Amino acid sequence: MRVYSVGEINRYLRELLEANAVLADLWVSGEVSNFSESAAGHLYFTLKDESSQLRCVFFRPKTAVDLENGTAVMAHGRVSLYEVSGALQLYVDLVQPEGVGLLHLEFERLKAKLEEEGLFEPARKRPLPAYPRRIGVVTSPTGAVLHDIVSIITRRYPLVEIVLSPTQVQGDGAVGGIVNAIAALDNTEGIDVIIVARGGGSIEDLWAFNEEKVARAIYGSRSPVISGVGHDTDFTIADFVADVRAPTPSAAAELAVPDRADLQAQVQSLTQALGSGLTRYLALFRQRLDELTRTVSTCLTGSLAISHERLRARELELASLSPLGTLRRGYALVQQSSTGAVVSRLEQVQRGDTIDVKVSDGQFRSRVTGSKKGLQGWMNSLPSSKP
Amino acid sequence: MDEQLTFEQALERLEKIVLALQDGGLTLEESIALYEEGMGLARICNERLNAADLKITQLQTEFGQAPQNGDEPLP
Repeated sequence: MRVYSVGEINRYLRELLEANAVLADLWVSGEVSNFSESAAGHLYFTLKDESSQLRCVFFRPKTAVDLENGTAVMAHGRVSLYEVSGALQLYVDLVQPEGVGLLHLEFERLKAKLEEEGLFEPARKRPLPAYPRRIGVVTSPTGAVLHDIVSIITRRYPLVEIVLSPTQVQGDGAVGGIVNAIAALDNTEGIDVIIVARGGGSIEDLWAFNEEKVARAIYGSRSPVISGVGHDTDFTIADFVADVRAPTPSAAAELAVPDRADLQAQVQSLTQALGSGLTRYLALFRQRLDELTRTVSTCLTGSLAISHERLRARELELASLSPLGTLRRGYALVQQSSTGAVVSRLEQVQRGDTIDVKVSDGQFRSRVTGSKKGLQGWMNSLPSSKP
Repeated sequence: MDEQLTFEQALERLEKIVLALQDGGLTLEESIALYEEGMGLARICNERLNAADLKITQLQTEFGQAPQNGDEPLP
């Protein structure tokens, strides 16, 4: 047996209270009394009902709180012990007027909390794969939702495998079931996208999708998540945290896969582009071929003309070299009549020799009557050397 | 032509071929070869779209074997 100090017992009690999960996060409804506000801005009050009272403290509310004695409120916070006075207190972090509805209050509280943590950040949303191969579906294995999802995907894009991760979607086991179902898909190879879906219902029916554990499971999943919960007017925390929010389960299925009809049209237009691409190519090659053919024949004609010209020049050259040409220019060929030897020097003839003189159109016979050495003064009378 | 191509792979290759044909710079043989490959890919795309048969598998979760609990509100 030992004796405890007051401080020891109070610390022990505080630790005991703070270790309790229910007391760490709870809503309490009651009527406000003994309301007071400290100079530092802290609010002190008591919540009471017909038979009991609970001391409350609200440290420096971030937003203005409209409290007065007699107001019926719901306060959210944690219960602990103030060691200094030994008082059991509710440490309040949120106060709402009674009548707003607990679920609504809880929804707004969790939404604000997760938003501040960054779970809804647009920058964090992951894009959906354009052509998924394996689609995980977290929903009830029976009922209209799975049937709708299967029939929509069958119609739009049956190239996929649907991997159903079955779970209860309402009731006590729903939260754990959804969390486990997402985890099971995360442990399955090749899941490209996950649809988390549930049909329409009351806010209580959909409540599992407003639970923090489900929100964190969606946020933590390896594959991008499409939420399709309830009708298009229902917004759940799961919708805010999902990578894509679909208004309904059917819409989630449509967002998950492309439409086969669109793809067929796309393939059709690509086929046409292929045909016109080749046609254009062939036309280009044909055009180049035509151009080349034209160029070749132009070159050929040109080179023929050049050859003609050169031929004509050669002919002229030949003509000018022929002895006949020379004779036409006025020169004469002299031969000894007796021997036929061509006379090119004085010594080849004697006075009295008969010689034959050939000119351009015939010949005549002459006799040598005299000679004289040298050609001085005679050059000027020569016929032009030009043809 | 690889007959094991998925729809996505065949479509991607087909898009590249159309771009190549539109860009120019190919020889006649290359352009005809690409055209033929493209037509084969278009056929594969259409086959994949038309012949596909949706597959459904179910994971064994704790709930997988449990009594059914549908979307209808509980009684």
